[in-house]
Amino acid sequence: MNSLRNYDSYSIAQDTRLMLKRAEQESVETVWDRHERQSPHCGFCEMGLSCRICVMGPCRIDPFGEGPQQGVCGADADIIVARNLGRMIAAGAAAHSDHGRDLVEVLEKVAEGKAPGYSIQDANKLRLVAAEYGIEALEREPLAIAKDLAFAMQEDYGTRKKCLQLVDRAPSQRRALWENLGITPRGIDRETSEMMHRTHMGVDNDWVSLLLHGLRNALSDGWGGSMIATDVSDILYGTPMPAFSQVNMGVLKEDMVNILVHGHNPVVSETILQACASPELIALAKEKGAAGINLAGLCCTGNELLMRHGVPMAGNHLCTELALTTGAVEMMIVDYQCIMPAISKVAACFHTKMISTSDKAKFPGMVHREFHPENALELAHGLVREAVENFARRIPERVYIPVEPIPMMAGFSIEAIVKALGGSVTPLIDAIKSGAIRGAVGIVGCNNPKIKQDHGHVTLAKRLIENDILVVDTGCAAVASAKAGLKVPEAAVMAGAGLRSVCQSLGIPPVLHFGSCVDNVRILNLAAALANTLGVDISDLPIAGAAPEWYSEKAVSIGAYFVASGVFTVLGPMPPITGSLNVVKLLTEGLNGVVGAAFAVEPDPEKAAILIKEHIDAKRKALGLGV
Amino acid sequence: MKQVVVHPEKCVGCMQCTVACAVAHSSSRTLYAALLEEPLPRSRIHIGSTRFGRGFPNRCRHCDPAPCMRACLPGAIYRVSEYGTVLVDPDKCINCASCAMACPFGVIRYHEDAWAQPGKTVAVKCDNCLSRQLRGLIPACVEACKSGALGFEEMDRAQRRKTDAVSDTVWSTSGVVLPAAGSIGFELLHAQKKAMVEMAQTSRA
Ligand code: SF4
Ligand code: SF4
Ligand code: SF4
Ligand code: SF4
Repeated sequence: MNSLRNYDSYSIAQDTRLMLKRAEQESVETVWDRHERQSPHCGFCEMGLSCRICVMGPCRIDPFGEGPQQGVCGADADIIVARNLGRMIAAGAAAHSDHGRDLVEVLEKVAEGKAPGYSIQDANKLRLVAAEYGIEALEREPLAIAKDLAFAMQEDYGTRKKCLQLVDRAPSQRRALWENLGITPRGIDRETSEMMHRTHMGVDNDWVSLLLHGLRNALSDGWGGSMIATDVSDILYGTPMPAFSQVNMGVLKEDMVNILVHGHNPVVSETILQACASPELIALAKEKGAAGINLAGLCCTGNELLMRHGVPMAGNHLCTELALTTGAVEMMIVDYQCIMPAISKVAACFHTKMISTSDKAKFPGMVHREFHPENALELAHGLVREAVENFARRIPERVYIPVEPIPMMAGFSIEAIVKALGGSVTPLIDAIKSGAIRGAVGIVGCNNPKIKQDHGHVTLAKRLIENDILVVDTGCAAVASAKAGLKVPEAAVMAGAGLRSVCQSLGIPPVLHFGSCVDNVRILNLAAALANTLGVDISDLPIAGAAPEWYSEKAVSIGAYFVASGVFTVLGPMPPITGSLNVVKLLTEGLNGVVGAAFAVEPDPEKAAILIKEHIDAKRKALGLGV
Repeated sequence: MKQVVVHPEKCVGCMQCTVACAVAHSSSRTLYAALLEEPLPRSRIHIGSTRFGRGFPNRCRHCDPAPCMRACLPGAIYRVSEYGTVLVDPDKCINCASCAMACPFGVIRYHEDAWAQPGKTVAVKCDNCLSRQLRGLIPACVEACKSGALGFEEMDRAQRRKTDAVSDTVWSTSGVVLPAAGSIGFELLHAQKKAMVEMAQTSRA
């Protein structure tokens, strides 16, 4: 069948293009089809000018000035846009931080001996983090420390504190700045809850003060919920160390039982990984005619397994339906976040079993098996067994795995980088000072059908490394550059001479995989470490952030904590704020005078690269470094 | 005679008009009850999407002469001259789709409708909300549109406004590239008129 559509315009990834053709033949509807059907999107909503906060409304403001200029309550465009943005930040911060909370609960259960599938894998990190919390860590059993640490972290979620513990990692200048602005994050849940309160009808009606609280709310994610999530994951599952793996849909194997994990939280996927290694289940797979059990990841739970265990990645956000369309997946196990409810419809066209696992995330068309620390290992074994048994139901004629996998390297935690550098960040600072590395940029975030898949991430990464700017990336951005072959040491030849020689001498790629979306805090930690070593603020560093294909509320929170931490951040898609030019101006210019950094919006990655390069040059100049 | 006037440049693509149109053509004429009706009411106005995702409100132009009317062999399509409205008689419609082939704008749809015999598929298109107009209401889509993309006004007044707006755009945005008129006196006159208007505006502020 000849395809009528030009799938090359949907994605730069070969596997996506081929799978889209396959999906059309199989009459599988994808996110791109649905996106097309939603067009045109409502302009009120796209501009942030519709308000659904109360039922005197819903209200909308006419951007052309003729129709209504105020909601029923009298809220104008500035207030409505700021409230909507504030609620996006709150939702994003809540998502990351709730994920962190789940990990702290596992840590607590491990300490109590009630979580048979889990243990402390990095006792050293446990001691270090515990010490930050003022917990006696020397000469004590890891489990006893873990219990105290879990308790102390739970306090961070509450209302008793004036400042979150891990904020102490930020440079003192930055902390003083937050204190002066009154945006030091106090309690992780408190800031989100307060945002919901402020944006209720008739509470905070000053758009500036709403946006400032937005920054505080985002900081409670970056230096709170997400930071806890990453640290506790490292403690429980091991701090990532560099390892080789593979990426794209070619990691699915025609002759093996394929299991996909999708979502964000390693709590579930880690036990699935253990179960997949069970000799008994592998023997069963062979009995069923398969060569073995193949576990692969999608989105961030995949990134978590990749970072710590080198588990291969089948793809990023926009690949999730297409991976199922291969017809080669026996089971997909999901936890939460970024799981399109559409995927079980795709699975229903094949033999794939769909399993939801979180008490807070159920999906139509999925079988629900609720994971708790107490039962996780047992459940995981049962699920893998079911997946193995499902292999017999696969229809070989419908299996289509269109590409060979691409090799990649992952696992760059700060600890790993410091180790590679010989024990401190000084060599990195020296390279930045000498200009061999001109700066560093974090490319983060999602895919969005509004942007050609991976084009934003990959083009930007290429332009930056060509200019000797080191790229560290996370989430779906990290998977994009891996698929494009930028995450192998050989990719150093694509970098400028300075960065190339640094990468070649260390044997690392020019684009470093920093992990999942909560792991964006590794970027904060690195920035803070560099700033502290140099005795400057984060906003003085030649660094930037970018979210070229972002779609989610979590990305809004990440962008806001980057900027509030002093990192210039370029967004690809425009957030829903153009209804208020006051808000636009504050976010893109005004914040420079407030937190020393601001947002820019630039969907074209070529132009975004120029913006970032100019920014890095300016920062180098201010530091007295060569441009 | 007032007509629905479309200003596509102001369409924000919210599709409020489509919801309002469907409800206005349901049996119950209320949003929540309409959702329970069989058949479900459908909109007569359709929001197209341009290459860049901008909305375009597409509805019957009530042409005169109307190609659909000429194409309709059973004579189901007729005109109500005092309202400048082309209507379809669902009882005479034989669902042959000739009118759709003739319509240059693609605004005719075929489906069951609360206002036709039950179970019969008929040609359906905008009726200028005549039943609302008879009750003293303006067309539902116009009432729903909050961005000014749909207006209900006298055609010649609307055309005059549009003429003024286009003139203004041409003169103020491309004035620099337009050739000089060739008379210094004429330019002087207009420079002075412009100064007077601007003065009036700034002194008010
Ligand atoms: S809060 Fe105000 S603007 Fe929002 S829906 Fe209620 S009345 Fe309308
Ligand atoms: S249906 Fe089409 S052809 Fe007939 S009057 Fe309307 S716009 Fe004209
Ligand atoms: S005038 Fe009435 S029938 Fe015609 S498009 Fe508008 S709402 Fe629908
Ligand atoms: S209600 Fe107005 S702005 Fe909204 S889609 Fe219809 S014509 Fe466009």
